[in-house]
Amino acid sequence: VTIRPQTDALRGSLDLLILKTLSLVPMHGWGISRRIQETSRGILDVNLGSLYPALQRLEKNGLIESDWGTTDNNRRARYYRITIAGRRALGEELESWKRFSSGLGAVLRST
Amino acid sequence: MSWFSAARARLLLIFAGRAAQSRMDEELAFHIDMETERLMREEQLPRAEARRRTIATFGGATQHAESLRDGRGLAWLGGMSLDLKLGVRMLVKYPGLTIVGGLAMAFSIWVGAIVFEMVRVAVNPTLPLPGGDRIVKIATWNVAENRAEPRALHDFTVWRASVRSITDLGAYSDVTRNLIVVPGGEARRIKVAEIMASGFRIAPTAPLLGRVLVEADERPDAPPVVLLGYDVWRTRFASDANVIGRSVQIDERFAEVVGVMPEKFAFPIAHEMWVPMRVTATDRLPRSGASVTVFGRLAPGVTLEDAQAELTVIGKRMSAELRETHQHLQPRVRPYTSFWNVTGSDYALMQSFNVFALMLVVLLCSNVALLLFARAATREAEIVVRSALGASRRRIVAQLFAEALVLGGVAAAVGLAAVAVTLRLWGREFFVINQGTVPFWINPGLSLPTILYAILLTVIAAAVAGVIPGLKVTHGIGARLKQGTAGSGLRFGGIWTAVIVAQVAITVAVPAILLIEQRELRRIHAYDGGFATEEYLAVRLEMHSGRGSPDTTRYANALEVLRQRVAAEPGVLGVTLASNLPRLGHPESYIELTGSSGDAAPPASALPRVDIAYVDPTYFNVLESPVGVGRAFNAGDLAEGARVAIVDEGFVDRALSGRNPIGRQLRFTPRPDAPAGEKSSWFEIVGVVKDLGMGAVHERERAAGVYLPALATRGPLNLVVHVRKGSDPLSFAPRLRMIATSVDPTLRLAEPQRLDDVADDVLWIIGLWLRITATLTGIALLLSLAGIYAVLSFAVSRRTREIGVRVALGASRRRVLTAIFRRPLTQVAFGVALGSLLVGALVTLAAGQPDQRLETARDVMPSFQGVALLCAYAVVMLGVCLLACIVPTRRALRVEPTVALRSD
Repeated sequence: VTIRPQTDALRGSLDLLILKTLSLVPMHGWGISRRIQETSRGILDVNLGSLYPALQRLEKNGLIESDWGTTDNNRRARYYRITIAGRRALGEELESWKRFSSGLGAVLRST
Repeated sequence: MSWFSAARARLLLIFAGRAAQSRMDEELAFHIDMETERLMREEQLPRAEARRRTIATFGGATQHAESLRDGRGLAWLGGMSLDLKLGVRMLVKYPGLTIVGGLAMAFSIWVGAIVFEMVRVAVNPTLPLPGGDRIVKIATWNVAENRAEPRALHDFTVWRASVRSITDLGAYSDVTRNLIVVPGGEARRIKVAEIMASGFRIAPTAPLLGRVLVEADERPDAPPVVLLGYDVWRTRFASDANVIGRSVQIDERFAEVVGVMPEKFAFPIAHEMWVPMRVTATDRLPRSGASVTVFGRLAPGVTLEDAQAELTVIGKRMSAELRETHQHLQPRVRPYTSFWNVTGSDYALMQSFNVFALMLVVLLCSNVALLLFARAATREAEIVVRSALGASRRRIVAQLFAEALVLGGVAAAVGLAAVAVTLRLWGREFFVINQGTVPFWINPGLSLPTILYAILLTVIAAAVAGVIPGLKVTHGIGARLKQGTAGSGLRFGGIWTAVIVAQVAITVAVPAILLIEQRELRRIHAYDGGFATEEYLAVRLEMHSGRGSPDTTRYANALEVLRQRVAAEPGVLGVTLASNLPRLGHPESYIELTGSSGDAAPPASALPRVDIAYVDPTYFNVLESPVGVGRAFNAGDLAEGARVAIVDEGFVDRALSGRNPIGRQLRFTPRPDAPAGEKSSWFEIVGVVKDLGMGAVHERERAAGVYLPALATRGPLNLVVHVRKGSDPLSFAPRLRMIATSVDPTLRLAEPQRLDDVADDVLWIIGLWLRITATLTGIALLLSLAGIYAVLSFAVSRRTREIGVRVALGASRRRVLTAIFRRPLTQVAFGVALGSLLVGALVTLAAGQPDQRLETARDVMPSFQGVALLCAYAVVMLGVCLLACIVPTRRALRVEPTVALRSD
């Protein structure tokens, strides 16, 4: 499955994935995409053309912030870090996502 | 603090557009490297293949950059700034269009802003005093007669004691006084305000020297003092720093100078000197005493309506208590500046100036629109490509608007700079010449509302000049896109043909206005007074004898003594008196004539209107124009009951068609149908003189003049002095002042002038209009020529393909030329014909009011030079048209037919 920002719901889910990933540890863009792919066991493949605009958007909204850092093999990279507002937003988004998916599940199970 | 980091991120992105871009590039490069290495590592791909796959999954860097800009939320701004940048580039790329179009726009903005500022100052003035909008004046209004009752000192005393809503109540009286600096020296008329000390609290200004007037000066026993204005101090006292304490003579009294006010201080209206107002017991009686104006400041928190309500109550009480004098009197509170206010129809007239100015802006900008349309049309290919790449119509129109806006912005800056210069030089002067005395708050300049208005004009101009061509050029662009050609689809339609024709017509016709104005100027210059006006000095003599009505006996005596003293001066050939000066306006009246020696009086409907002057019996001899037929006035004619008149030749020709006037009776009537009670008694015509300038210079009709004997007791007169040939009459003016002052210090002399200079103000105004029209015409011409050239040459160059086809099919050059030139030449010729018709109409209109003072019809018809000039304009028009056709046609003919066929 490739997540494309076609609808608000899916765009929201990409934001959710990014925030969730960053809530564990600050990370650079490539790291975020790898982490999502690995954690989802290769099911979710983040389109790079969507990832960076999403990062921009989140930063603009104050949910994450970024700074230059160095990777383990000594390369310069932009590291993203979740902010307090971002954590709060993540909590709310998780709640609504859980409600949404349980609702979805209930409907799908009934048929 | 999410809003803070969000704001910070936004700011950083806005201000660091480039930095953000390079940061993004670096991030992407990092990402691609990491992903490439991963693919090499995990899927054992060669580096090149790994990199290719990475980039392929990326979705294209351009798209990403667009998203980045979207992320900044400033896409539209980026687009606009790009458009503006493009606009600047276009200014440089098409310098001709920039100069011509920019000049036209600057000129229209200049006209619009000047008219706006002048109207604003006249209609809605602001008082340049602290809290100026809260300063009011209170007038006592006579409801029965619907006019102000100026004798309001009694009411003022009551108001000052009881009114709570207005503070700093004060009053002033507007008087003219003679100021004599050195005893026995010459006297000068000064506009003086007899004013209460509270006036200097309403207009708090620190004096340049000494002090202002204070309450103590108003006590009857206080020593008389005077406060000087800056100009009086500078001119009459040579800026004497030790002027304080000096004693000067004001009319017959002496007063001590206590202070000098700074430059431009002219409160209450346009005053040059201030003396304390001393209110006597008689002044305080109801409806008596001096004419005063009452002013004050609204108390804090009080509105004009509140103050009016309070005064209405007081007014009603006074009406009840003083039925005899105050039954119909009501106090009225008005903004202080309202005394000079424009109301009703005048207001509408003033505002209509703005409408005309706006129309001029639209007119000139539609010219610029024509130019921009031609330019846009040459860029049609570019526009079609942009449209194909997905630019919306709105986007393309916005770009053309932005280009026009850049042009308009430059034009507005130039126009506003010109406005500032113009208003500084002539703004106030214009009001002074039109109105005489101008209040100190009338001070046109580059004010904020005017700048805002000019910006509004610029946007309107850009809309007219940018949006209309934009809409026109993008119209049906989709269809052209489908045809797969980027050319030849665009045509100048009927509207543009009409615009070209109208423009040519106006270009031909506008100079005609200039010719008519010039003729007017020549006519005024040519209007002869009938005598050697350059040898005469004239000065108006007035007298003020305290408050109340002037003392006519004293005035008559002073005049007689003055006349004898002046006549005895060396170099003076004669002295006489007249109520009105030759070549200036005279009072007018209708007359009735009796028949004489048998012929009937003219019917009532043909009552002639005449100009009247009261003159001394010596008048005609001093003017060296003795009475030709009949007799002159003699001393006996000055007696009460002697009813004789002398008429001029204009009267004989116009009222009597050349018949003999001697012995006929005439009487004056205000209207042709006036009842007998309003008509004067009969006067006998005893003599005829030649025309001696009874009409005002600007009038077209030959005047019919009636002279009556002058009595000094009837009103102020002009002293007319004939000086010896060869000496400048004005050099006698100082001596005249000295004599007048020694005869009677209260005798006030207006500015002496030479009789040949009296029309200077009128000439100045006409000259001003001439200059304005000339500028307008010049710019209209320049713009029209450029516009016509641009549009025609563009229209011809669009037909390159057609020319190619014709030549390829073997058409001769001449046939091609005829085919190409026919349409533009027809348009221009049609325009020239239309313009000539307009000129004809204008000239006929002007000739419809022939100038009866000119003896030949030669000057009525346009002169030979005028006709030649008009012909020259027509030739220039056609020449420009030919040039506009020839240049692109030659280019097209030189091109190989095959190439021309491919041209799009």
